[in-house]
Amino acid sequence: MRHIISILLENQAGALSRVANLFSSRGFNIESLNVAPTDDAAVSRLTLVTVGSDDAILQIANQLGKLVDVVSIADMTGLDHIERELALFKVRAPENSRAQLQSILEEFGGQVLGYDEGHGTLELIGSGPEIDRFMADLADLAEIESVARSGVIAVARGSPIFDAPARD
Amino acid sequence: MGLALIELATLMNIQDETQPDPTHPLSGQIMSGAEILVQVLADEGVTTVFGYSGGAILPTYDAVFRYNEEHAAGGVEPMPLVVPANEQGAGFMAAGYARASGRVGVVIVTSGPGATNCVTPVRDCMADSIPIVIICGQVPTGAIGTDAFQEAPVTAIMGAVAKHVLLVTDPEQLEANVRTAFEIARTGRPGPVVVDVPKDVQNWEGPFRGEGRLAIPGYRQRLEAVQGNTLSEERCAEFFAMLGESKRPLIYAGGGVIKANGSPGLRALAETFEIPVVTTLMGLGCMDTTRPLSLHMLGMHGTAYANYAVDDCDLLIAMGARFDDRVAGVPAAFAAKARRVLHFDIDPSEISKVKRADWHYVGPMQPALDALVAHGSSMGFSGDFSDWHDETANLKSTYALNYDRESELVQPHYVLETMNRITGGEAIVSTGVGQHQMWAAQYCDFREPRLWLTSGSMGTMGFGLPAAIGAQFACPDKLVIDVDGDGSMRMNLGELETVTTYDLPIKVMVLNNYGDGMVMQWQRLFFKGRLSGSDKSLHKKDFVKGAEADGFPWAKRLDRKEDVPRILEEFLGFEGPAFLEVIIDKEAGVYPMVGPGLSYRDMITGDFIPNRYGAEEPEEPDASEMF
Repeated sequence: MRHIISILLENQAGALSRVANLFSSRGFNIESLNVAPTDDAAVSRLTLVTVGSDDAILQIANQLGKLVDVVSIADMTGLDHIERELALFKVRAPENSRAQLQSILEEFGGQVLGYDEGHGTLELIGSGPEIDRFMADLADLAEIESVARSGVIAVARGSPIFDAPARD
Repeated sequence: MGLALIELATLMNIQDETQPDPTHPLSGQIMSGAEILVQVLADEGVTTVFGYSGGAILPTYDAVFRYNEEHAAGGVEPMPLVVPANEQGAGFMAAGYARASGRVGVVIVTSGPGATNCVTPVRDCMADSIPIVIICGQVPTGAIGTDAFQEAPVTAIMGAVAKHVLLVTDPEQLEANVRTAFEIARTGRPGPVVVDVPKDVQNWEGPFRGEGRLAIPGYRQRLEAVQGNTLSEERCAEFFAMLGESKRPLIYAGGGVIKANGSPGLRALAETFEIPVVTTLMGLGCMDTTRPLSLHMLGMHGTAYANYAVDDCDLLIAMGARFDDRVAGVPAAFAAKARRVLHFDIDPSEISKVKRADWHYVGPMQPALDALVAHGSSMGFSGDFSDWHDETANLKSTYALNYDRESELVQPHYVLETMNRITGGEAIVSTGVGQHQMWAAQYCDFREPRLWLTSGSMGTMGFGLPAAIGAQFACPDKLVIDVDGDGSMRMNLGELETVTTYDLPIKVMVLNNYGDGMVMQWQRLFFKGRLSGSDKSLHKKDFVKGAEADGFPWAKRLDRKEDVPRILEEFLGFEGPAFLEVIIDKEAGVYPMVGPGLSYRDMITGDFIPNRYGAEEPEEPDASEMF
């Protein structure tokens, strides 16, 4: 099962590698990983997507909770949450393909950032699976030259799951 | 991304206190980083440091020297520096010191090889939850990452094995880092903490604050949540309701009881309500093993009576134990008749990790046990366990440890039995890893906690000698015996000289069976007797001459059965360092034995201990379980 794990992590040397180590040492693949600052300069928020049985993920979460640099941790999967990812695509976009590109972008709620010398730059914000579906449909319409994805980020609906220092 | 985090790290080392502590007599004084480091060690109560010098740690070694020179009272240094033959020795000395005393052991080593030689003791301490702090010199900040001379990526290497690693890049934060290292090492589930200190940080000069720690908000919050726990009256009532329904309760006590200093509480609970106790390898001594309620050690090489009691119990009370694969090789078959499993631990991640707990308590051990004893006593709890006591007494006598008493060869069990009769279970015993370790665990009594020092989880050969050295520094008045094997002794042989350099009255006993005995035992059982790499009968070492060369004033070889009592009296009674090599029966095996991945029903008991289930030959373990 796919799990989205949110972690507040102190900005310390080696902190990120210790988190990654816990996954790699158990043979788990990290599907996506996003790390960015929060409103607290000392703490980053890390969002990690992985696939594994609930039991195995619980074990990893328990072990993550023992890392000194980890401030808080939550498995968002079982919670009511909002998931977003930003994806940028470069596609081959001759003049005659642009109408079709426009229609699929409208369907998914994406947009064109620009056309330049026959290359199109597209942007889509959505959940990870939405972006996967868009990418599959896009591949039928146009030659994808390059994909850059931010990795998933997520917050809980309603009250934040993390107390101070950073809230969601 | 990773780079950004590391850059941020240098900017955002946050302290929770920013004002100097006006109550510290040295507050505000200008010191070098090295002097600050040593002052924090002194403030933390460090009375011995173990370590080996080198380029990147020279300023700190100089500061230790000057500290001792300035503070020596009556010729006694307040923080003697103990120098091993190899940094691994220093790590295990600190571990032995910590295990024997309960205080944090301290190691100071140089960068590169000094630090990497400590990887094994750091992992060993992590696996056995032993509090040590390792200060590593590092190349100057500007040279980090350039493959400088004697550079190693200590945060990356140690980050994978330690409880925590701190790289000090801002000298203003050195003091807070070192202080926090001690806090992390000793709190919660204890463990090793590494502080990597670049040489320029040691040479920096600035004001000493006298206080201040790193914020570590997540760690502190989780720690407070656990440390603040206790057992309420309702929860005590639940406990006694379950105990009252039980006819065959059994306490399964591990090393966590010793780390938590919970031994008095455990003894009170067991003795007051007459609950038999089995202990893990790491838990030996938390219950006085000479008491009738003690069933000694359970597990792969536990006593048959302990393991049968686990099979028979209807209520299992796990305390500071973690259902390790050497204890519960088949979790579903472990204590299969127990209607309930209760689990006490300081580490929430251990609850239901291997075996589902029906009831658990996460928090400090001793207050919880005090609450239980008080609650049970005030309600006048009295369980009806008399049949169970008869059963366990019967198990103890029927399935007692035994060996080939008629053999003309020196049996290791006989040597340890004799040693135990002389020491009365009052001596500190350290070991290497292998057969001698298991025989010592089986045949030695431990009347108190912190007498038994062994590498349990990691199983590091070579642990015994340096651990004994550390323990003797921690407990100068105790009799300290290193029971070792010939293979394990070779691993850190250089430390024999350390014993005599510091004139420590340690008794080093090598049980020599000319090989790696435990490996040979497995090869005989599971590999048709092909002794690949484990037979050392062609080795030429003369251990006694070696000990003499290293300055042992008493060094003897024992190879006749009839000499065992007399020589052991002489050996253990010698007032200085003593070395004894015992030539033991090469064929002697460790029994009972539960094969890897098997349950206690498949336990083999050898030729001299009866077997309740009639298992004669070990079942061939699944190849994937063969470790």
